[in-house]
Amino acid sequence: MNFEAVIGIEIHVEMKTKSKMFSSAPVLFGAEPNTLVRPLDIAFPGTMPLVNKQAVINAIRVSNALHMSIDNELWFDRKNYFYSDLPKGFQITQDKRPIGRDGYVEIKTKNGIKRIEIERLHMEEDTCKQLHMSNYSLLDYNRAGTPLVEIVSRPNIRSGEEAMKYVEQIKSIVQFTDVSDGKMEEGSLRCDVNISLRPIGSEKFGTKVEIKNLNSLSNVEKAIEFEIIRQQKLLLAGMPVEQETRRFDEMRKETVLMRKKTDAVDYKYFTEPNITPIKLSDEFIKNAIETCPELASSKRNRYINDLNLSEYDADILLQDKAVSEYFDETIKYNANPKLLVNWIMVDIASYLNKNNYSISDLKLSPEHLSDLVKLISEGKISSKQAKDVFLDIVETNASPIDVANKLGIVQMSDENAIMDLVIEALNENPQAIEDFKNGKDRAVGFLVGQIMKKSRGKANPAMTSKLVIQELKKR
Amino acid sequence: MKEITKEVLEDAASRLMFEMSDEQYDTLENEFKIIIKQMKLIGEIEGVDEAEAMTFPFDVTTDYLREDVAETPLSKEEVLSNAKDVCDGQIKLPKVVG
Amino acid sequence: MSYLDLTIKEMHEALVNKKVTPLELTKEAIARAKSDNNNAFETILEDEALAIAKELKEPEVDNLFWGIPIGIKDNFSTKGILTTGSSEILKDYVPVFNATVVEKLLKAHAIPIAKTTLDELAMGGTGTTGHKGMTFNPYDEKHELLVGGSSCGSAAMVANSIAPFALGSDTGDSVRKPASYAGLVGFKPTWGRISRFGLFPFAPSLDHVGFFTRSVEDSAIALSLLAGRDLNDATSSIKPVEDYASNINDSIKGKRIAVIKEVIDSLNDEQIKKAFLASIEALEKQGAIIDYVSFSLKLLEAIYPTYMVISCAEATSNNANLDGVKFGPRYEGNTYQEVMIKARTNGFSELIRRRFIIGSFALMRENQNDLFLRAQKARRLIVNRVNEILSNHDIIYVPAAPTTAPKINASSDRLSDNYLIADNILVLGNFAGLPSITLPIALINNMPLGGNLMGRAFEEKLVFNVAKALENEMGLYNLSARKVK
Repeated sequence: MNFEAVIGIEIHVEMKTKSKMFSSAPVLFGAEPNTLVRPLDIAFPGTMPLVNKQAVINAIRVSNALHMSIDNELWFDRKNYFYSDLPKGFQITQDKRPIGRDGYVEIKTKNGIKRIEIERLHMEEDTCKQLHMSNYSLLDYNRAGTPLVEIVSRPNIRSGEEAMKYVEQIKSIVQFTDVSDGKMEEGSLRCDVNISLRPIGSEKFGTKVEIKNLNSLSNVEKAIEFEIIRQQKLLLAGMPVEQETRRFDEMRKETVLMRKKTDAVDYKYFTEPNITPIKLSDEFIKNAIETCPELASSKRNRYINDLNLSEYDADILLQDKAVSEYFDETIKYNANPKLLVNWIMVDIASYLNKNNYSISDLKLSPEHLSDLVKLISEGKISSKQAKDVFLDIVETNASPIDVANKLGIVQMSDENAIMDLVIEALNENPQAIEDFKNGKDRAVGFLVGQIMKKSRGKANPAMTSKLVIQELKKR
Repeated sequence: MKEITKEVLEDAASRLMFEMSDEQYDTLENEFKIIIKQMKLIGEIEGVDEAEAMTFPFDVTTDYLREDVAETPLSKEEVLSNAKDVCDGQIKLPKVVG
Repeated sequence: MSYLDLTIKEMHEALVNKKVTPLELTKEAIARAKSDNNNAFETILEDEALAIAKELKEPEVDNLFWGIPIGIKDNFSTKGILTTGSSEILKDYVPVFNATVVEKLLKAHAIPIAKTTLDELAMGGTGTTGHKGMTFNPYDEKHELLVGGSSCGSAAMVANSIAPFALGSDTGDSVRKPASYAGLVGFKPTWGRISRFGLFPFAPSLDHVGFFTRSVEDSAIALSLLAGRDLNDATSSIKPVEDYASNINDSIKGKRIAVIKEVIDSLNDEQIKKAFLASIEALEKQGAIIDYVSFSLKLLEAIYPTYMVISCAEATSNNANLDGVKFGPRYEGNTYQEVMIKARTNGFSELIRRRFIIGSFALMRENQNDLFLRAQKARRLIVNRVNEILSNHDIIYVPAAPTTAPKINASSDRLSDNYLIADNILVLGNFAGLPSITLPIALINNMPLGGNLMGRAFEEKLVFNVAKALENEMGLYNLSARKVK
């Protein structure tokens, strides 16, 4: 029997707002425990939630990027359960009316473009952080209340590859819209995968297994591929797939059981009575969308259509938002796009890689990189010489022209200056002029050689040759 | 609707993180009989099923959203001032598993 | 006669004319509080009050709360001052911030004398369920009668002239019912008119900040201070605050007042009925037009179960933060669950735990339609009916209670199979979030009885205006147990 995998993904994204979802405590990472807490975050009695405007703007932007319809009224609900990391004993979320509904993203797979449907996007708040010691746990409320968006796909993902591409797309969207760092390894983008198998052609869903703890794109793919095979083996052996939660063990490269799922927990949802419905005007929504930082898909169009980059180059630049931003800044100074991409992807990339830096650590300013690229395209230095200049300016951010001068490698390309040398050389060598007039072309070579000597090799040879001939003809 | 049995009530109590005595469950079962009977009668009131569930006392909407500006947080001492078991500036609990 | 027996307005004049100082008032209030035997106080703020009073030198003519002793129900967060909600689970909780209303009173230089007792977490109507035991009615020296709840301590404090003002909270009738039993003016405004920030929530969709005074004008003066938009409470209204005490003596000629027929019919006690009818005549005498309207018996009978389901459901969630982890007594345990279970089992009385289970059950997925959502739908029908009546009447007038203060034990917090229409009628004001005031209309065997006026949303001024006319006509102004006894 052949099976098909039915996969749905829930993604939680931590927003990088200045303050929390419902309180004005700062959102920062790596602060001393319990120093980013306002009374609401530790659920002191009598505190009330206040919805963060930027969080709403972010949710609108991501909803729009995912082609969702956006609710023009915000409603919040309480999700009630007890847990050690949940200060209020409930989480404020959007159950009945998520801000975004019914969207999709398109992913590029081996088999072409596929549309992944998205059911909902809603805002909610994060829990506090637990630090587990050998025989006790510690609670840090700094993270409690950090704004989250949760994005829930429909179960129309069919493979590990599709899942990975889907998560990659969402990651790119939240990063390019500036909503989140979107770092899976740091937990600012967390994804839970629901996966079941069914015989191909069957409409009925099989028993669902949830996989948690997927902290990289490649683990998403690997975990699903492992899980598909695991479930397939069970089904073929006539054994039931148990409803359970599993996690991906990176060392063993397999999913392992976390806990059996009993009845689905009843969260006793009801409308949050401390937040009256919030009307979002058309203008507010429109403005949130119009001021949204440029998405990767739009940049890609710009790179290919306006800058004539290849699809390959565009995609490489867009793999990292910071890199594409560095490119965007540099291109403002009118460097040759193709040449610039090469410098970014080869020389800068290997420099960063060698030093274990990210692009934000780079000292070299966009303007100076642009200058360097221009020196090459204007023929003032050779590509090989440019590498020497680069080694200096990447550490110092000095002006590439200054450095080239210092290294004595800038070609003399000033026509007037070369012309002065040409005239000087002709005046000093009347025999050469005679030779030229008598048809001896090597006189040109001789004169160029004289000029190169005078310029200590810096005169642009092509230009020198052109000017020598031009001047000889006049004599 | 779920049938009211002692097991159901005990389960509800355990999910609410407290315990009750047998006698207290008896009182509660009697209270449930009353409230469920009364709610059934309400179900018979004309128009109740069609009515829109009401959360707020009157139609009240706002367009207010809090500006995303961080304010000075509580001091760590204030955060922890009411906690009885504190270790390394954090609240301590028996080891949380699962 | 002591200056402490005066109303806020009178006391203010005495302060401005320097007949008495804040320190003198405070000392006497503390002395009275200490000798009070009605169990009205969780904490008497002797040192704090004296410290504030000593700083107050030059009276502020336009600030009527300057130097006025006040009480604060112990479910309002007070910075650095124990705030228990009269529950074991908060018996050692010291907040790090002030409720907005507390902050406003402190800024006006009012002097908090005490934090007052309440039914545990404000979830009761008898004044007998707080962790310190029952609170008594100052009108009854034998301590056989209830003062009512949940704002029992605040009611007892003002009725016993320990302060002319005390904060309360009102989710069902927790200010306006005890006001009836204690001969006070008890008021709650439109939902959203006063910030709830810092009030320990019972059921936010029904919760209101309210207060006790001994005159209608004092009540209006207090609202002018406490009302207003608060950026800490997103549900607080942006409507401008009015001067609620101005024009309070305007004639009420031609004002249309609806009296609910079924409520009068349900009154069993002839003396009560007579007193209430007499108060209606008083309103007529002042020029009001009285209409007897039928509400709908079925909807009136639906009030109590609807209230129980909604309030318990919201309460079970609001109080889920009380888990003994971040504040409150900490118990040992091998798991975090054990720590929470011990804290909550020992921290909440049986009554509260029963209420939480009712609320939680009503919210369960398979029960919501039959319980919680049905109650919310019934609330809609009831509120629609109230608003229908108020679309052609200015005020709805009802007795604030079907009896004077009942005997302790005669009334219980267990659910009852009897429909007590007049006992639950004030909940209409919470369902619809409307301004509502109780004021004394009779003394029956030396025990007070109140009438209750309810008006349209944000029409507090009109409510005070009609209440003042009724107060003038009945002559029961600045009533106190000290005077009546």
